[in-house]
Amino acid sequence: MSNIQLAFTINRSHIDDSGAELSRRQQQYSLGVNDRMTVLDALEVIRRDQDTSLMYRHSCHHGSCGTCGMLINGERKLACLTQATKLETEMIELQPLRNMKVIGDLAVDPSPLFPDFPKGAAYIRRSEVNRDGRKPFELDHWERFEDCIECGLCVSSCPVTESFMGPAALAAHNREIINRRERRGELLGEVNVPRGAWPCTRALNCSRACPTGVYPAKHIAELRKKIEQDGLTPAAEPGEKRAQ
Amino acid sequence: MSKHHVVVIGGGGTGGAIIHDLRLRGIEATLVERGELTSGTTGRHHGQLHCGARYAVKDRAIARECMEETYILKRIARESLEANYGLFVALNDEDEEHVPIFIQSCVESGIPTKEVPVKHALEMEPNLNPDIRRAIMVPDGTIDAWRLPLQFFASARHNGAGIHTFTPVTGFRSSGKAITGVQVYDLKTRREFTIAADLVINATGAWAGQVTKMADVEIPITPGPGTMVAVRKRLANMVISHLHPAGDGDIIVPQRGLSIIGTTQYRTDDPDDIAVPEEDISEMYRCADMLIPTFSSQKYHAAWIAARPLAGAASTADDARNLSRDFNVVDHGEIDGREGLVSVIGGKATVLRAMAEQTVDAACVKLGITECCTTAETALLPHRAYST
Repeated sequence: MSNIQLAFTINRSHIDDSGAELSRRQQQYSLGVNDRMTVLDALEVIRRDQDTSLMYRHSCHHGSCGTCGMLINGERKLACLTQATKLETEMIELQPLRNMKVIGDLAVDPSPLFPDFPKGAAYIRRSEVNRDGRKPFELDHWERFEDCIECGLCVSSCPVTESFMGPAALAAHNREIINRRERRGELLGEVNVPRGAWPCTRALNCSRACPTGVYPAKHIAELRKKIEQDGLTPAAEPGEKRAQ
Repeated sequence: MSKHHVVVIGGGGTGGAIIHDLRLRGIEATLVERGELTSGTTGRHHGQLHCGARYAVKDRAIARECMEETYILKRIARESLEANYGLFVALNDEDEEHVPIFIQSCVESGIPTKEVPVKHALEMEPNLNPDIRRAIMVPDGTIDAWRLPLQFFASARHNGAGIHTFTPVTGFRSSGKAITGVQVYDLKTRREFTIAADLVINATGAWAGQVTKMADVEIPITPGPGTMVAVRKRLANMVISHLHPAGDGDIIVPQRGLSIIGTTQYRTDDPDDIAVPEEDISEMYRCADMLIPTFSSQKYHAAWIAARPLAGAASTADDARNLSRDFNVVDHGEIDGREGLVSVIGGKATVLRAMAEQTVDAACVKLGITECCTTAETALLPHRAYST
């Protein structure tokens, strides 16, 4: 397997005691990579051999934990699923996700994602694999984790600038309504507020950024439809109408 | 409330379970982790919730412990588990000969098994190799290797634990030979500081030897890296295992929309110096196709490697394979005359809570604390509570 030399230009910054970001600058590293290596693999080698102070989030290395989202050559991606040579640039620029608070270098604080998630939402759904086929007599249905890995790429990609619950929390509301029909009224009430399902301008950035195929924009559209179906008065005009 | 303060080094699953246990017993506790939580071995786990069947033939005690912990995790951390069972399949004459001892060993380990007719197994899992000879169901499952530990961290944090990520340990503070604290460097603020401790627990898994070296003591730990390959399709609901004496590439773990084949085993001295050997990938595909023939024709998703923390010394990969997956709690006061430091070495993700219980029991004995462990009866907070 061939080894080619790539330059990595990486955002460096740190914070003070109050959490404010200080001294943002770019630092360049050079590394030989093979075709198999991901951006995360490269960061691991750079940290080990060149700079042990480099900060980035990572855990599973296979797109399941959602911690390693970052801007790679300006695009929102999971570093662990992005093969470095496939980017076909000699220099790879790495920046922390936008719309999130940086805690250092490429690492962001994911906590703003969660306050608007529905309380008590299910984390496990029915599996669609062999759904109607035979299953063990002890199980009502085969189980599967919800697809959303809470990586924040959708929130980071959203162009809406006004106060907004954001695509991840809204998708979670619609998923919970699908999983538990009895919560429909309660959860539609939560999203039928000015900062709920309405500010979305249908830019669809979120659905394009999502690495696990959740398509948050589709869920936002479904929420709006359900609000209409249930005869509720929309709490605001849809964002795309206002944008026209 | 105890007046003691314990510092835990290592933010993997073991460290998370330990700090949760410490807080439930009313012990002041602070955890330091050099990077993000579970960024060492824990997070890279293929995600098999081991009921113990895999270990039963070789070690009934470990198998029994896995089964007991599986039951406990289903009670305290249900949201982080896909409890879909596992299926062990025999593929050839040699495997078939292994079936009676496999079932017998499971029975002796308290693991319920149910042999299902091959036709029935193929109805449950249509992607299975149609030529399987025998199929035995066991209570395996899939763990979300990020969320399960995070549930422990979330519970600990809400119980008042201090958790510092991106804060590597740079040295120990001592008084004579007794350890009195740790020196750490906070990468976020670029400041060094000291945390005083009545006891330091080294829960750094494959990195345990590097940490004890800073305290001038040695510990028998062998990092045992293994490769995993994921494809972009969920090919089974159950964990599919090759029913044979354990070898490479004999488990397919389904996880969300993925299927993961694992694993290989090497040994290394430096758990940071690991990279997937290219030949592992074709070998993993070959092994996976024996269980699910369409595995290798799915879209490639990822290949990665994780360093198991094997308790014991091994100089070759074969030696490492023979090391037990059991865990030990080492009191460096007793063994090395270095009071104030305890290491937990070895173990597996499924038994993280039990590892913590034994480690904190040992810590309590040293500190003269009589509180009992209650983690088996205490439901964990949702993983999202870590950030809210």
